[in-house]
Amino acid sequence: MSESDTYRFQVNLSGMINILSNHLYSNPKVFLREVLQNAVDAVTARSQQDATYQGSIHLELTGSGAGSTLMIEDDGIGLTREDVHEFLAMIGQSSKRSGADAFTQETSFIGRFGIGLLSCFMVSDEIVMVTQSAKGGKALEWRGNPDGTYHIRELETELSPGTKVYLRCKPDCEMYYESELLQQWIYDYGALLPYPITFRDEQTQRIINDQRPVWLDDPERARGHRDEVLQLGQRLLGEKFQDYIPLRTASGRTGGIAYILPHSVNLNVKKSNRVYLKYMLVSEKAENILPDWAFFVKSIIWTDELQPTASREHFYENEKLEEVRQELGNSIRAELLRMAEYEPDRLQRIIQLHALSMKALAVEDTSFFQIIYRWLPFETTYGRRKVHELLADNQKMYYTTSLDEYRQITHVASAQSLLVVNGGYVYDAELIALLPEVCAEANTERLIPEDVSLAFTDITTEERKQYYEAVRYADVALQRFRCQIQLKRFKPEDLPALFTLSQEASDLRSIETSKSVSPLALTSVLQSLSSSLQQSAYSTLYLNINNSVVERIFQAKNESMIVVAIEMLYVNALMMGHYPMNRQEMQVLNQGIVRFLDWGLSANTDQGGHTE
Amino acid sequence: MNNQPEQINPDFEDIMDQAYSLPNGRAKIALLEEAIRIADSLGDVEQGYSAREELVETCTFSGHPMKALVAFSWLLGQFDQQPEEYDDFTLLWSYKWILDSIASFPEVSRAQIDELLVDMRKRYEQFGYSERSYYYYRFSLLKDYGEVEEAQQFLNKTKAMDRDEMSDCEACEQHQFVEFEVMKGNDEQIIRTARPILKGRMTCGEVPHLTLSKVLMPLYRQGKLEEAEKYQKQGYRLIKGNRDFVLHSGEHMYYLLNIDLLQALEVFEQWVGLSLDHENPRDKMMFNAYAAVLFKRLVADGNVTSVKLPAGYPYPEEANDLPAIASRLEQMALETAGRLDQRNGNSYYTTLIQQL
Repeated sequence: MSESDTYRFQVNLSGMINILSNHLYSNPKVFLREVLQNAVDAVTARSQQDATYQGSIHLELTGSGAGSTLMIEDDGIGLTREDVHEFLAMIGQSSKRSGADAFTQETSFIGRFGIGLLSCFMVSDEIVMVTQSAKGGKALEWRGNPDGTYHIRELETELSPGTKVYLRCKPDCEMYYESELLQQWIYDYGALLPYPITFRDEQTQRIINDQRPVWLDDPERARGHRDEVLQLGQRLLGEKFQDYIPLRTASGRTGGIAYILPHSVNLNVKKSNRVYLKYMLVSEKAENILPDWAFFVKSIIWTDELQPTASREHFYENEKLEEVRQELGNSIRAELLRMAEYEPDRLQRIIQLHALSMKALAVEDTSFFQIIYRWLPFETTYGRRKVHELLADNQKMYYTTSLDEYRQITHVASAQSLLVVNGGYVYDAELIALLPEVCAEANTERLIPEDVSLAFTDITTEERKQYYEAVRYADVALQRFRCQIQLKRFKPEDLPALFTLSQEASDLRSIETSKSVSPLALTSVLQSLSSSLQQSAYSTLYLNINNSVVERIFQAKNESMIVVAIEMLYVNALMMGHYPMNRQEMQVLNQGIVRFLDWGLSANTDQGGHTE
Repeated sequence: MNNQPEQINPDFEDIMDQAYSLPNGRAKIALLEEAIRIADSLGDVEQGYSAREELVETCTFSGHPMKALVAFSWLLGQFDQQPEEYDDFTLLWSYKWILDSIASFPEVSRAQIDELLVDMRKRYEQFGYSERSYYYYRFSLLKDYGEVEEAQQFLNKTKAMDRDEMSDCEACEQHQFVEFEVMKGNDEQIIRTARPILKGRMTCGEVPHLTLSKVLMPLYRQGKLEEAEKYQKQGYRLIKGNRDFVLHSGEHMYYLLNIDLLQALEVFEQWVGLSLDHENPRDKMMFNAYAAVLFKRLVADGNVTSVKLPAGYPYPEEANDLPAIASRLEQMALETAGRLDQRNGNSYYTTLIQQL
C-alpha cells in the first residue's frame, strides 16, 4: 500500500446525480451504455496507437439480488493519474460552461469518460475503478462515493493495460443487475459494436455481439443477405418483416436498413427509428432522422456524423440532420423507383399496404408520382379502382374535394355513368388535380355539386310554359329556406329530387344551426358573419320531371297541394343527403305528414284538406 | 352504384375513429362534419358536442377559424343549458382560440368583439381563473386593430400579473411579444425578443413555427444573412402544407424575393392553392399583399413570364399575364385592408400594405 489521498469534487455530486437520473436520461439503464461507451472509447484510443492490437470488452456479473456486483472490463488505453484528475476536473468545469454544452461537444475521451462514469451512481452507491495506462506506470485504484469524495490509491504492481469498473447494486436497483435483462440491454446497445463483447455470470458465458453483420460498412451488400437482415430486424425492432430497403448517404457516413412495415400504420403514429452513433445505440425512438412521409418503414440507422442531444438519446435538429434526412429519403425513393421498373408486383404490394404514405410522398414529389401513379387506389363511383384501371376507360375523371360533395352527388353521378373520384380523403383531390401533369392522357376536372346539373336535360320551352305557375308556387314555398327550384330531366328516374349546396350555403346552414342555440354575444357575431354569405348562399333543389311523382305534382292544379308536396320533397331530399334539419324544417315535415294524412282520409271529398 | 356502403351509411363512432386517425387538415374536418351531421340528425346532443369539440381544435390548428367559431358557438350554447354535463376547462380554453382569430373578420364589429371579451372575462371569473387572460386578450386584440400604444398599456398590465392555468404557454406568449415588436418596428428589439425562441429554449406546438418567419426581414436588414437563411429553411419545413400558416408562408415569400425570385415564386405556387379559399380574411390579405410585391418584382425583373396556377384558380388566363396577377392580388389585399381599417377606425392595414 502506498499513498492514499482524499480530494473533493467541485460540484454537488448528489445534485448532479439527481439531474442525470431524473432529468437528463430517460431511464437509469443508460448507465450501461455509458460504461460500454467508455470501454469502446478506450479500446479505440489504444488501437489508434497500436495497429496490431485487437480490443475486446468483457462484463461479469457476480452475486445475486441486493448483493450483486457488475464488473465492466476493457483492455483499452487505460488512465494515468493525470487523466483521472482531469476527468474529474472536467465535471467541475461543466458548471462554468453554458449548460448542456459540456455534454454534447465532441469532448476529449477523458471528458466524456468522467460523465459516463458518474451516471453509474444512478444504480450504485460505490464505484471502484482499477485502471492501468498503456503508457506504463503503476496501476491505480479509484474509489468514488456519491457523497462527493473519492480516493486514489496506487497499486503495487503494473497490470496489463485496461480498465475495470466495479458497480455494487444500490438498494432498489436490483433489476439493473438481473442477468437476463443485462444481456438484453447490452445487446440492444452494443449489437453493432466492432469489438467482441463477452458476458459472464455463474451460469452463462457468451459473446453478445457475435452476429455483427458484415454489410454494415456497405448497406448495399445487405441485398445479398436477406435472411440475416430480416432476422436482425426482428431481433432489434421486435417485428417480423418481409421486405427492406438499404439506406446510405453519399458520404457513406450514415447507413441503415429501412424495414417495410408489414401492416398499415396510422398517419399520426410516432415514427420510431433505431439509431446508432458510432455503432452505439443512441435512440430507439428517433423521429426526425427520416422524412415525415417515410412512415411505412421502421429503420435501423448507423451514423457517425450527427450530433446527439445532451442526453445522447436524440439528435439536434440542425442542417446536417436535414441533409442526412434528405439523403436517406432519397435512398427510399430511388428504391421505389427501381421497383416500379423492375419489380412492379413488389411495389404494388407495398402501395396497397401503405397507400396513404405513398400518396403523401407523391404530393410532395411529382417525379415520384409519375412513377407510381398507375398503382394508386382511389374511391370512385365505379368502386375502389387503381389509376391505370380508371384510365383504361378513357373517360373524363371528375373529382370532388370533400367527402360532403362526393356524398351529395354520388348516386346521381353513378346513374349517369359519370366517373367521379372521391377527393375527400387525405391527398386524393390534390393528386387527381395533379394527375394530368404526370400523365398526358388523363383528363380530370373538379366537380362541384352544382355542376352535376350540367348533365341534366333542360325541360323544353313548351314544358316551361306548362309548368310556369307551378314552379313559381314551389319557388315561393322554399324561399324561406334559401333554396331555389330547378325543374330538369335526369337519371335515375326513381330519384324525385336532388338537393345541392354550395360551400357558402353549406357554411350558412351550419351557422344557422349554431345560431339557434348559442349565447347572445356569439349570436350577434354569427349574424354578422352570415350576412356576408347571404347573397351567394342559395341551395338548389333539382326536381326530376322524369319521376312520375314529380310529374303528377306539377300537373296538379291545387296550389296548396303543390306547396306542401314541394316542401315534403325538400325535407325528404335533406334526409336523403343526411343533412340535419333545423326547427323550421322539422315543423314542415310534421305538418306535411299530418296534411297528407288528412288528405288521404278525406280523399272522397273535393275540398282539399284541413289541418286544424 | 357505389360499392362502398359504409361510406353511405357510416356510423358515428366509426367516423370519429377515422377522424382521430388523421392529422389535422381538410380530410379530418370533412369527417368530423359528417359525424356532426349524423349526431344532429339523430338528435344526439352529447355526440354532437364531442365531435364539435374535436372540430374546434382541428379547425383552429389547420386554418379554418370560421368553422371553429361556428362550432364553438354551438358548444357554448349547449354548455349553458347543461353546464354539469361537459368539461368546462376544454371549453374555456378554446374560447381563447376564438379571440385569437375573431379580429381577422372585418364583418365583426369592435362592439361585438368587446362583448365577447366581456363574456369571456365573466366566464373565466365564474370558474375561478384570474383576469390576466382578459388583459392579455385586450392587448392581443388592440394589437390586431393596429393600436400600438393602447396595446402596450394592456401588455404591461398583463406582465404585472401572475400566470395561471388559463394562460397561454410561455412560448406562445413570447411569440405574441415578438409580433408586437414587429409592429413597433425596431429590428434589434424584434430579434432580442425572439432570441429565447430562436435558441430553442421556448417551444410548443406552434412555436417556433410562427416565430421564425418574423425575424427573417429584421435579420436581412441587419445583414445577418446566414442566420436568416438558417431560420428560413428551418421555419419553412415546420409550416409546409398547413393552411394555418398561409400568412407565414407569405412572410417567407417576402423575405425570399430579396434573395432569389424563383425560390419566392416557388413558395407562391405551393401556397396559392391553400390561400384561395382561406377562411381567415386577414391572413389571406397578407399573403396576397406579399405575393403582389413578388409579382411586381418579377415583372420588373423580366426573366419569368408565366406562373403555375393550381387547378381551380379562378383566373387561369392570368398564368401568362404577370402584371394582371400583380394588380389583382394587390387590389384584393387592399380591399380587405380597407374593410378591416374601417372596422378598426384607422388606416393601419392599408398603410402596412402600401409600404411593403
